Amino acid sequence: MITSNKTEADRTDRDLAARCRRGEMVAFEELYRRHSGRLYNVAYRMTGSAADAEDLLQDVFLQVYRRIDSYRGDAALGTWLYRLAVNACLDHLRSHQGRQRKATDFIDDVEGLEPVASPSWQPDRALDRIDLESAISRLPPSYRTAFVLHDVEGHEHREVADMLGIAEGTSKSLLHKARVRLRAFLRGGPADEARRPAAASTTAGADGRRGER
Amino acid sequence: MDTKRPTALTCERMAPLVDDFVDDRLDPAAREQLDSHLAGCESCRRMADDLREIRRGTRALPTHAPRPEVWARIAGQLAAQTPARSRTFWTGARVAMAMAAVMVLSVVTSVVVLRGPRPETQPTTPAQTAPAQTAAAAVHPSAPATVKDVDEHLRIADANYQQAITGLEKIVTSEQAALDPAVAATLQKNMGIIDQAIRESRAAIKSQPTSQLAQTSLFDALRQKVALLEDTIALINVMRKGDQAGAAKIIGGLSKS
Repeated sequence: MITSNKTEADRTDRDLAARCRRGEMVAFEELYRRHSGRLYNVAYRMTGSAADAEDLLQDVFLQVYRRIDSYRGDAALGTWLYRLAVNACLDHLRSHQGRQRKATDFIDDVEGLEPVASPSWQPDRALDRIDLESAISRLPPSYRTAFVLHDVEGHEHREVADMLGIAEGTSKSLLHKARVRLRAFLRGGPADEARRPAAASTTAGADGRRGER
Repeated sequence: MDTKRPTALTCERMAPLVDDFVDDRLDPAAREQLDSHLAGCESCRRMADDLREIRRGTRALPTHAPRPEVWARIAGQLAAQTPARSRTFWTGARVAMAMAAVMVLSVVTSVVVLRGPRPETQPTTPAQTAPAQTAAAAVHPSAPATVKDVDEHLRIADANYQQAITGLEKIVTSEQAALDPAVAATLQKNMGIIDQAIRESRAAIKSQPTSQLAQTSLFDALRQKVALLEDTIALINVMRKGDQAGAAKIIGGLSKS
């Protein structure tokens, strides 16, 4: 049933893309209605800012409108849209790196990490949502991307790999590091990510993407 | 403390299993292997418990949605960039927009009726609604719609929106003292964004009179303005009644829109 719904959704997306290529604004608006929510959510979790997420969503859909001719249907439209959105988010984060982010955001090998401000997560206590959101916002962009797409958005590693243009093993490795890093932020103590060897074949760049396809 | 200290290699080999365990993807054999290790390794057990809790917490995170203004901004920008499309192609959509404008007028009338008699601020009198009825009849889907007809209907629709907005704005202006200053400031900011979208769309229509994209974005922005004004009036009404719960509900809706 889920597969059937997904197939139907993909078909609708392809129809909409074809109509967008013919210049139908109504189809483009429908495309926006179908996908803007999830793309906005990704942008919000990636940037931690509603205003930035809205600006990025706007930029992404203006890109979609300009580049819809280059979408040939070899991947699901949703995957293509996620790819554009994630790349826009990573570009945004990189552009803010020097001004707003700590340099350690882009360094993977951090020996010890300070916990998030006043974490309330103690043994036998429920994890506080604010602490968790704060910890997610401190993940390095490549970790955050894999975490948001897999754990927040619920995509499979195969899909995440496709969206980011990386190997599936790299997606698993990034996710594992993200989870362990989150734990370190929330509990304090070392970011013990060395237990799991990096994927043998890593094609991603330092920011976790290989580029748009 | 650990009751049985496993080798570092064992812990290392367990790490990938912990991820699959957290994701409920472990097959029974691997699960047995992991359970056996966790029973003797407190460090890995704590890690697994924490990662499961983080996974649970992540699943419970709220989802967020963009405000409608984002679409208005996108449509406005595209309208300014895109050459006009085939006129006949858009006829159906444009007629639909015109009908929507007529429906807005009836909503405005309802808002005023519900609010009670305040003749000096009522935006629609029987004389004023007459053109709307004329427009409604004119844009009925069964009627033949030539390009000339559609242009005329759009002009009427735009005028109807403006009439609706003018009426709603009069009410808001005269009653806005009832609003909390912070809420009023937020509403004003949102209104500013919508007004900007309206200005951009009108500028785009001026430079490209036949651009359907510009018309779409204009009517989107006009619809949003009417909706925001209606919400504002509803908020004023519930605040006057001292209905804090009702006010909170409307304010919650405004923050999402």
